[in-house]
Amino acid sequence: MPREAMLARALVELADTLVADFDVVELLTLLTDRCVEVLDVDAAGLMLAAPEGDLRVMASSSEALRLLELFELQAQEGPCLEAYRVGLPVVNQDLATVNGRWPRFVPEAIAAGFHSVHALPMRLRGSVIGALNLFHIEPGLMRQADIDAAQSLADIATIAILQHRAVQEAQMLNEQLSHALNSRVVIEQAKGMLAEREGLNMEQAFARLRTHARNHNARLADVARDVISGALPAAGLGRTLPPRHA
Amino acid sequence: MNRGGERRLRILELLGGQAAPGLGTKRLCEVGAEVTGMTGAGIMLMSGDIPRGSVCTTGGVSSLIEDLQYMLGEGPCVDAWQQDRPVLEPDLANPHTPRWPAFSRPAVEAGVRAVFGFPVQVGAVRLGALNLYCDRAGPLTDEQHADALVMADIAAQAVLLLQAHASPGHLAAELEADGDFQYVVHQASGMVAAQLDIGVGQSLVRLRAYSFANNRPLAQVARDVVARRLRFDAGTGDGRQE
Repeated sequence: MPREAMLARALVELADTLVADFDVVELLTLLTDRCVEVLDVDAAGLMLAAPEGDLRVMASSSEALRLLELFELQAQEGPCLEAYRVGLPVVNQDLATVNGRWPRFVPEAIAAGFHSVHALPMRLRGSVIGALNLFHIEPGLMRQADIDAAQSLADIATIAILQHRAVQEAQMLNEQLSHALNSRVVIEQAKGMLAEREGLNMEQAFARLRTHARNHNARLADVARDVISGALPAAGLGRTLPPRHA
Repeated sequence: MNRGGERRLRILELLGGQAAPGLGTKRLCEVGAEVTGMTGAGIMLMSGDIPRGSVCTTGGVSSLIEDLQYMLGEGPCVDAWQQDRPVLEPDLANPHTPRWPAFSRPAVEAGVRAVFGFPVQVGAVRLGALNLYCDRAGPLTDEQHADALVMADIAAQAVLLLQAHASPGHLAAELEADGDFQYVVHQASGMVAAQLDIGVGQSLVRLRAYSFANNRPLAQVARDVVARRLRFDAGTGDGRQE
């Protein structure tokens, strides 16, 4: 299959994850595998920033590379970290000539058989969430077309991840909203029931519910639910404060 | 910036930092109407199959549109919510395909000639629907439709953002301030449940039936119950004015 077709297929595959059920690790593994297939690189790895801000390796096209990236992270240096921190591509780094730039990373990379390294930021507008690491065995420049293609793959993965996170957060907030509203509704229903049974107005009924909740160290919504269900009888509910101890 | 982005920016500028913690949500609805060129707008919260209440409305007619849907369980927002897509009725008085028999007449009588419902959601997380109405019949233009979609999206995010700042377990103060979650109806449900010795769910059904049979808004009936002007008789199960 011609290269353009492979790239197009990879992009569609990634875009599919935007609508389907989403597994982050699956997506990123797919991304690194496709990079190797489509971009004529020898290994690819991907790191995402954890909530605390430190980079964690999420996927790689081979186990050997994984070790390398773990090292890179620990050493706190390397093209991947740079691309993430600065939010810009770090490309065409010939490891034989970058003397002094990454003093611990370079010898490890060469020992692993790699002589050329590139890193592309995973970013969307202002957010950089990680970086894509590409490795060549042979030294030499990566073609601009390949760099652009790699950035496209990284960009789609970034969008998918950010979208997924946004939806997860929205879900959580929606549940909180629903829960808060349910609690309110139940409290209003209980006010009505108590008001009717005890001949009170709504403020008085509310005060009784609150008093009972305080006396029994219970949540107002739970007390309300018990009143509605009949588990708590309305008669005399919350009429008195607890007696003062001498 | 692409056109969608420009549209969004324009709407956010109109909101001008409103619908932020400390301020009510009414401005959301006002901008919704302004930006789409509609006479009025409102945002309904829904869950399961039913409306839960209103986040905001621009005024009396929009409130009526929401109250009717709350009471009757039919209408453009209900359909938009259930079908998960915009529901458009450009000519409520002479619809191409008649629908919403109980909703349409009182709405038309109140001056609604065109009405549109847009789902309010963030991805698959659904909150409710945006309703827009116009006092003249006519479809939305492509621009208005596109603006409505962006407005619905912004509304979803604004509501969630407000709730994010609420104290745990409570509805955000901004949502309480301009919202109407039909508390008086729930109070009345509690009272009628005690009067008839039935569950609150059943009691709400009774209240709705009474409202419909007597052609009165549900909230008004509920207020009568709470004010003890209306009781439901344990013997007959009927409502009786005191």
